[in-house]
Amino acid sequence: MAQAVGAQERPGRRLRARLDVTTPSLLGLPVAWLVAFFLVPIAIVAAYSLDALSLDPGKHPLTLQAWHDFVHSSVYLGLFWKSVKMSLIVSAIVVVLAYPLAYYLALSGTKRKYVLLLMLIAPFLTSYLLRVLAWKVLLGDNGPINTLLSTTGVRSADHPLTLIDTRFAVMLVLGYVWLPFVALPIFVSLESLDRRLLEAASDLGASRLQSFRRITLPLSFPGVLAAFLFVFIPTMGEFVTPSLVGGASGYMYGNQIVDLFGTGFPDWQTGSVLAIFLLAVVAVLTAVFARFLQPGEAKAI
Amino acid sequence: MTDGSDLLERRLSREDLLKLAVATGGAGLLAGRSSIADAARSQLAAENGRLQVLDWAGYGNDGGQAMFAQYVKKYPKNKPQFTVMANEADALAKMRAGLKPDVFRPYVGWVKYFATSGLVQPWDPKLIPNFKNLNPFMVKAGQYGGKQYGIPADWGFDAILYRRDKVKPKQNSWDLLWDPRYKGKIAWYDDPVEMLVVAGYYFGVKDPYNQSDAELKKSQKFLISKKHLVRTIWSSETDMDNAFASGDIWIAYAWPNDWVQMKAKKLPVVYMHPKEKPIAWVGMLMVGKGSPRYHLAHAYADAWSSTKSAKWLEDNYGYGHANIKARPASSDLLRALNLTNPKAVTEPNAHLDRDVPRRALYAKLWQQVKAS
Repeated sequence: MAQAVGAQERPGRRLRARLDVTTPSLLGLPVAWLVAFFLVPIAIVAAYSLDALSLDPGKHPLTLQAWHDFVHSSVYLGLFWKSVKMSLIVSAIVVVLAYPLAYYLALSGTKRKYVLLLMLIAPFLTSYLLRVLAWKVLLGDNGPINTLLSTTGVRSADHPLTLIDTRFAVMLVLGYVWLPFVALPIFVSLESLDRRLLEAASDLGASRLQSFRRITLPLSFPGVLAAFLFVFIPTMGEFVTPSLVGGASGYMYGNQIVDLFGTGFPDWQTGSVLAIFLLAVVAVLTAVFARFLQPGEAKAI
Repeated sequence: MTDGSDLLERRLSREDLLKLAVATGGAGLLAGRSSIADAARSQLAAENGRLQVLDWAGYGNDGGQAMFAQYVKKYPKNKPQFTVMANEADALAKMRAGLKPDVFRPYVGWVKYFATSGLVQPWDPKLIPNFKNLNPFMVKAGQYGGKQYGIPADWGFDAILYRRDKVKPKQNSWDLLWDPRYKGKIAWYDDPVEMLVVAGYYFGVKDPYNQSDAELKKSQKFLISKKHLVRTIWSSETDMDNAFASGDIWIAYAWPNDWVQMKAKKLPVVYMHPKEKPIAWVGMLMVGKGSPRYHLAHAYADAWSSTKSAKWLEDNYGYGHANIKARPASSDLLRALNLTNPKAVTEPNAHLDRDVPRRALYAKLWQQVKAS
């Protein structure tokens, strides 16, 4: 009997021993990748923000001056707040637009839902830059939209609508670019919805609106939140779209970081402060919202 | 790698030979001409690889090939390899971050800055045969501490380009850049210094390039108050040209090239000479400190300085060139740039760009204008 137990234990030990080697070897590469290309660069940027590293030759004592200036700068914080507002508006509108789309694809029972899904992401088969530049043409003073407005007499050709080089243009293009990213997580959360709950609700006399409000929406909330964050976080640091279609008024926080590192007189210290601040805000937001992304928490909502 | 037959084909000037003989401790002279040639070959052999050039967009293989065609013909195995600089500050950031160009081209206002930065070294004008044809005033502007840090190349003005059919200026002044009648049709230039300098000239301060704290504050506040009138603040000349050509903007802080481009598109445009005077600039080729291709850099600068290249630049880009023998085909351009005046870039015709002692502060204030 004792022998039999020992014989049964041996494979277990071997398995554990194998696991002990397998886990670190599987995790090793991604962890090393994360350290080398995420944590170390962040540490370097943080060091620049404290002047521990500097573009200027010579020794530099550690200083919090750039942080002090940033915290007391109404300009930088104002620009940050402007970017947050723009990102919030884009994220909220895109989620509202994407939800019915994802709902239809996931719950309508259409056999062509994956074809439709493919159509949704079809624009992503072309270059991001090309799509943004296409908007530039569409929104120009002499572009198709303004031409249509002037030929229909809605607007005089001499006074076209200023669509390009505005905050509106930035938000429109960002919304367009990010819409599929928003629709997909919502689609996935709706797709995995337990249909029996809806049937039970119907059997118990709930209307379709009540079913949606009390079952579908709460259970798809993690997907909605994930979708919202998918847009909100990257658009806060966006700089390509504003630089292409934003003009002077669509200038965002990300553009300021790029300028401080590049085309302005190089001020990597201030640029690093702005970058680390953005990262910190994003990290806090992610931590706060992460609990709502847990499936268990979702059910409790 | 450079093979021997290619080296033998290279012609060495007498000055090259003497320089190389000195560099080899006179051994070449003692051993006779063939030994000098051997030394020359070894010196040139050390200069292998592609010439690293940091230059503005449009001056490399993206349209500016004629400027260095003679160099490529002579040194086909050391063709230039280009990195684009958005402006001098961008070049500085790239070089501070480790880029080591053999040649780069900031403008005259940066000569002192770069000469004292430890990033560049002086040229040896004797190694540039076309140097004798360059405008003496501009040559002097490229000097610091008696040494030639900048080889003058292209030059031109910062002034105002506007659509004659759409815009009726009240006067020839920089104030057209913030004329409320044309709100949403105006483009400013994204540069750490120039817009603050323009505001300084507009207010008539004593030295717009070295404004006091109070003057700078006033200039910055003024620009912030006028920014809402501006449609775009351009850093890419191509983007600005496209916006101007499409009719999105009617008034722009612009360079002579933009005027040439718009005229070529048959747009009715005027390149205004403001009463406060335009800002003038001169491109300065500089050689990187410790460049392993020092002689090739000189050959490249020589190609840029040739009369043929200079004329091509004037005809195609609408800028002046420091080579005083070059003349553009267009008499309009000749007149607009005042090309026959060897001191067109300075008083009383224009304000020549110059060193900005507090450049970092100017840049910070300008960034705040953009962020406001």
